[in-house]
Amino acid sequence: MAEILLHLTSVSSQLHTLNNTSDERYDSEIRDLVAYIKQFNKNLDSQDLLDNLSPSQHTLSYLFILNLHIETLQNKTKNIVPDEIKPGNDLWAKAVYFLRSFDPIQVRYAGHEWRQLIELIGQAAEAVSKPFLAVQVIREALLRLDSSGVLTSVHITFLRLSLLSRSYSHALPILEKQIFRFPTSSGQAYSKHIDRPLCSEFTLGDTFISDASGFSAKLTYRDHTRYFLYGAMIYMALKNWNKALHWLSIVISSPVNDSVSKIMVEAYKKWVLASLLGHGKLVAPPKIISSHVLKVYQTLSKPYASLADAFERRDFQRLRAEIDVGQSVWRADNNEGLVSQLFRAYNTFLVLKLGRTFSALTTTDVAQRMFTPLASSANVEEFVASLVMSESLGATLLHLHGHGSATMLRFSAPTKFVFNRENFMRKRLIEEGRALGFITNDVDQCNSELKLGNENLQLLSRNQRWPDTSGNGGGDIVQADGGLDIDEDIMGDAT
Amino acid sequence: MDLPPLSDEQLALVVASAQSPANLYSTLSDYETEACLLSTKDGKQAELLSLYYSTFFFSHLLTDQIREARLSTKRMPQNLLQSDPSLQNCLNLLRAVWQRKYEQVYTILRELPWPEPLKPIVQSYDAHFQEKTLKELSRAYEAIRPAAAATYLGLDPASAQEGDPATMQKFIACGWTWDEKTGLLHPKPIIEDSQNDAQLYNELSEVMALVGNRRT
Repeated sequence: MAEILLHLTSVSSQLHTLNNTSDERYDSEIRDLVAYIKQFNKNLDSQDLLDNLSPSQHTLSYLFILNLHIETLQNKTKNIVPDEIKPGNDLWAKAVYFLRSFDPIQVRYAGHEWRQLIELIGQAAEAVSKPFLAVQVIREALLRLDSSGVLTSVHITFLRLSLLSRSYSHALPILEKQIFRFPTSSGQAYSKHIDRPLCSEFTLGDTFISDASGFSAKLTYRDHTRYFLYGAMIYMALKNWNKALHWLSIVISSPVNDSVSKIMVEAYKKWVLASLLGHGKLVAPPKIISSHVLKVYQTLSKPYASLADAFERRDFQRLRAEIDVGQSVWRADNNEGLVSQLFRAYNTFLVLKLGRTFSALTTTDVAQRMFTPLASSANVEEFVASLVMSESLGATLLHLHGHGSATMLRFSAPTKFVFNRENFMRKRLIEEGRALGFITNDVDQCNSELKLGNENLQLLSRNQRWPDTSGNGGGDIVQADGGLDIDEDIMGDAT
Repeated sequence: MDLPPLSDEQLALVVASAQSPANLYSTLSDYETEACLLSTKDGKQAELLSLYYSTFFFSHLLTDQIREARLSTKRMPQNLLQSDPSLQNCLNLLRAVWQRKYEQVYTILRELPWPEPLKPIVQSYDAHFQEKTLKELSRAYEAIRPAAAATYLGLDPASAQEGDPATMQKFIACGWTWDEKTGLLHPKPIIEDSQNDAQLYNELSEVMALVGNRRT
């Protein structure tokens, strides 16, 4: 046992840092270790080994032995989720500890085992109806791995569990990381030119998360749309309508072959509701959606179209009738919660619209124009005051002297409006700036991978030009040098 | 970092030692996983859970995360939520805060029976809610009747309407002016700390620098 332990601890992230081992050598050591563990006898005392290994130092050994231990238990109990792995038990604690402290470099060599453990943690938490426990752990594991914009099946599992456990804001650190790649296909031509070992700190997620690495199960078209639909649902639960609309737009504008998928139709229905709740009107769908797809959406979501029409025409009686008639539809589509928010949104947008026409109104006037159940002056004042105090409405209230209980609603002075708008624009700029920074880094990385960086281009240019200039006969070296200089300057200008 | 196990004493220590409501919220969030593992069937653990979730609930309110407070009530054990008087009070308070029923908020905070260990945080929230409402009122109203202002702030509306000097003094202390002729109070907007504004400017500069770098 001591000999095995010695072998298992031979690869350690601490030793790698201390000894400053080259990436190539570390890579070879890790691969040897993986080969050694894979030929293990399954009957060895894995519990003892686990107690003597550190998840952060001996990540690979710990992960393989832990999975071996779990597999033995699964075979013994004939249960995929044995009691020992359920929350509160010893194996659960070990798995959680591992997922919170693993070495993200070593784990690149065991993507399949890493995912297997995460999926099991998810199943175990669901088995005891406490998905929240898995959400925390999976989030930390995903952030620790840093998938660099690559979508994996673990992302989808994570969002599903976040929705199940209603831990929406816990999902934000993952949702806010831009996802724009699928796991690399091993057949991609450019990947052959990347000769960095997996353990190099410059090897990013787009390289080590490939379709063969095991970090993700095979992704389908459905998985892709599911990820964005789940994300949109989380943003809707957090009432971040703009983000929700953006995520839904990705689903509804996904490429289609012959017919649209059910998920896309579901997303379109939610798109209609999120539009009304966030903007008070049906937002124009992305232009990228072809007209025949849009027609299919509209045909399959007629009750939603009627609802939107009543909302946009400010016809409260019809809106109420549409909502009542469609109860079974909203329930079947799991959109009851969103539909129930329409009444408040309706009143809010009605008051906002009044602000575009009038500079001031009494609350009695507002009540007369609302035609809704709120329409008593006192209720209207309470409602309008809540909008003003929560800063949803840029206005001020003024109790009037000598007019009983009259209250004047004065819509905001233009200066305040401009200030709010400036603030909003500034926030938008910063958000876009962050996205731009992210894309810039990625472009730089692509340039480097494809050898399209400035230095490479200059070198290439120099190499290409050299034969030409030497071909002039070589008699006028000064002239040739001068020509090269000019060329370099031109390249400098262009970059 | 490993947290000390959750217990009544540890909870009291966390509440007492928290430097700010945000700090309290952050520490209690870290305990949510451990709380999730406790059983509501065990009487002692159920008591601890009731105290933990109630304190956690108030830490949301103290950091103005009303929506998150609502979601936390969906995540806590539903049988405990339905049967525990303290959590039921939290639920009623949440409803009143959500619907901006000011009178109800103060009644729930001041008149409902809260467990002894929870009383300091309940009082903190009373003060926080009053202060927050005062800022909102100052911004929202150009002129307000004293009775209405008193209702918003959990003071006695009748004495405010009669112009009770002690009540009026509280408004005047906030920089409001009292026009005896019209019987109206004129709130003075309370200017918020501009720290966030400065941060926004810094971030904006970073964006501009990024754009500038790419042009060269």
